[in-house]
Amino acid sequence: MTTFNKISQAIVDSDPGQAISLVETAMGNDTPAVDILNKGLLAGMEIVGEKMESEEMFIPEVLMSANAMSQCVDVLKPHLSEEDTGQTKKVVIGTVQGDLHDIGKNLVSMLMESAGMEIYDLGVDVPPDAFVEKISEIKPEIVGISALLTTTMPAMQQTVEAISEAGLREQVKIMVGGAPVTQGFCDEIGADVFAPDANAAAKMAKAL
Amino acid sequence: MQLKGLQGGLYRPLSPEQIETIHDAALTILEQTGMGYENGLEATVEMLEDHGAEVDHKSRRIKFPRHIIEQAIVKAPSQVILCGRQPEHDLDLREDKVHLGTGGAAIKIIDLETKELRATTLEDLYEVSRVVDQLANIHFLVRPCIPTDLKKEDYDINMFYACLKATQKHVMSGVNDEEGLRRVIDLAAMIAGGKDKLAERPFISFITSIAISPLKLCTQSTLIMQEANRNRIPVAISSAPMAGSTSPVTMAGTLAQLHAEELAGIAICQLTTPGAPVLYGGIPGLVNLASMGYAGGPVEFGMMNAAAHQLADHINIPNYNSAGLADSKEPDAQAAWEKSLTLILAAMAGSNYIHHSAGMLESMLTIAHEQFVMDDEIIGNCCRVLKGIEVDAEHLALEVIESVGPGGNYMSSPHTMAHMRREYFQGNGVTNRKSRDRWEKDGGLDAREKAREIAKKLIANRETAYIDPDTDRAIRDKYTIHLKEEK
Ligand code: B12
Repeated sequence: MTTFNKISQAIVDSDPGQAISLVETAMGNDTPAVDILNKGLLAGMEIVGEKMESEEMFIPEVLMSANAMSQCVDVLKPHLSEEDTGQTKKVVIGTVQGDLHDIGKNLVSMLMESAGMEIYDLGVDVPPDAFVEKISEIKPEIVGISALLTTTMPAMQQTVEAISEAGLREQVKIMVGGAPVTQGFCDEIGADVFAPDANAAAKMAKAL
Repeated sequence: MQLKGLQGGLYRPLSPEQIETIHDAALTILEQTGMGYENGLEATVEMLEDHGAEVDHKSRRIKFPRHIIEQAIVKAPSQVILCGRQPEHDLDLREDKVHLGTGGAAIKIIDLETKELRATTLEDLYEVSRVVDQLANIHFLVRPCIPTDLKKEDYDINMFYACLKATQKHVMSGVNDEEGLRRVIDLAAMIAGGKDKLAERPFISFITSIAISPLKLCTQSTLIMQEANRNRIPVAISSAPMAGSTSPVTMAGTLAQLHAEELAGIAICQLTTPGAPVLYGGIPGLVNLASMGYAGGPVEFGMMNAAAHQLADHINIPNYNSAGLADSKEPDAQAAWEKSLTLILAAMAGSNYIHHSAGMLESMLTIAHEQFVMDDEIIGNCCRVLKGIEVDAEHLALEVIESVGPGGNYMSSPHTMAHMRREYFQGNGVTNRKSRDRWEKDGGLDAREKAREIAKKLIANRETAYIDPDTDRAIRDKYTIHLKEEK
């Protein structure tokens, strides 16, 4: 097994200790940091993504793998240029006003974070104004809105409208999700992307 | 065969020592970790503080010394009677007496004609409630779906109206806010013929999901719950953690946290109105670990809900829990085993009020008419188990055995005539035991198709107006009722 394969395997095994020690050894051997990142860590996360899709890996294992990955990135960071890592996307995310469900939204946040995005989580019961304020402040590329209740779906529409009224609509891509939300509803309220689950959400956010 | 209110207590997943251990752990959780709260609950928090709870207003944490909980919970009644519109539909909740009915707030339905999935409407709510009214083994109606075609403001009153018009069984539901609660109580009082009459025979009750697991009070639900307490209308104090995401992944850990949430909720009720009728509403659930989606179909769901009844019984309070909420998307074989297993375990435990037990699919998101029919059959079978095997002179039938003698048969014996319909469960017609030949001649319908046929027949039956025309007019004058008047 090559060093890169071993690092990938440590990520897939959700083993941060092993991953870090392999990364440190590789750096000691003058392996370029950018290769460790791409051929080792990211290649490992690629496999994790597949295993998550096929339900071979459980979410806590996926989160542990992501955690191992991010610890390794911290080790590599001083040796990476902005070009190597690409620009980090910023995401403002929250559950709409009147809605207290957050498990799905949290999972979306965690997977986006592990895909290298910077997350600003506004929590639950977030009024449209609070979304607008945070967007003005952070200037994110992506806004994620979650709603789990048919009674709070209108608040999702109001949030999209508030973003438009504040003149911020063109600057962001709006992603929506939650059990009652559909592609049709996404289109109807003028949001950009609907994702049915967290894995898809992270993938789509990355592709935006 | 009367199959309502039979005695369970036949399956006890927890030993007496294990119950003690979990109860003690829950008291420790409330003492050490406590419950969180948010804005809007100041009056409630102050009340708890007055009774000796330790409140950290900065971190918004309430810690409950043991004696507060212990003193409060003994005030809760050990028997709650949830009435139907007629006494024959009353539910006597106590000890190990078992009742099963619908539950949930599904948002999708598999259309009875087209089999296509679509959003649920007020008309669906009325129609499936009429089906439930006519299915003998479903003992009560918890509003099974949401009228997604209405504005949120119109939900509460219209949901209760549709249910109360469709059935004379007990009706339970959650409401959006305190205003909704007051309006619904008013509606029910109009039907009962006055608020006193309603208090005498409460044929409605409320679900309040006070716990946002882990260990946080939901402001809105807590306020609704206390308002119901003050009106002496029974409430089910719901807490529904999911092992692995909102409670520990282990069953014991989930039960301990759930029990703590319930104890806190019951204490709040009893401090608000001593003696207020409440149901211990712990619904231990789990997740599909590969997606973190809700999982209600695993056999462990049945085991844990059985254990929840034991924990409620330990503190002498009737319980509300769940079983039968399949994760399968369609009324198929998976749905049948998920439902049968969880229902039989919860029923054999002696759970007093098992909701979600009919009609549900897709982890509470979807209902189907035919599923109500099939689940009525499963529930009936479960209750038959509770009835047990009677062994007395009449049932031993020694005289009959003697008179038939070796080589005879029992087909035409009067003893057979006398007992055959009572000894064995008689279903609603969905179970097929005909010969293949006959079955093929009858159209060769599988269970789902047969159930669809039965559901259609029930819907075609004449509507019984459970709200008399004068009251109906008065209600329509006062509130915006969206259900169409008599067709
Ligand atoms: C857990 C739960 C709760 C918990 C929430 C705990 C928490 N911390 O979140 C509690 C107990 C607090 C709760 C409360 C209530 N609930 Co609730 N709840 C659920 C339940 C069982 C599971 C939700 C869940 O966590 N799923 C797991 C996660 C991982 O999945 P998910 O949320 O769908 O998220 C995934 C996708 O949707 C997507 N996604 C989600 N958000 C986003 C955002 C973006 C940007 C993107 C791209 C994708 C995305 O990705 C996620 C991960 O894969 C659902 C039923 C169900 N099967 O969905 C009911 C359900 C949503 N609840 C319901 C109800 C009615 C309520 C209450 C009103 C209770 C009541 N009166 O009985 C209250 C409302 C409180 C409030 N104001 O919000 C109904 C909704 C009916 C309706 N009108 O729409 C449901 C459908 C259950 C039912 N049939 O009865 N609930």
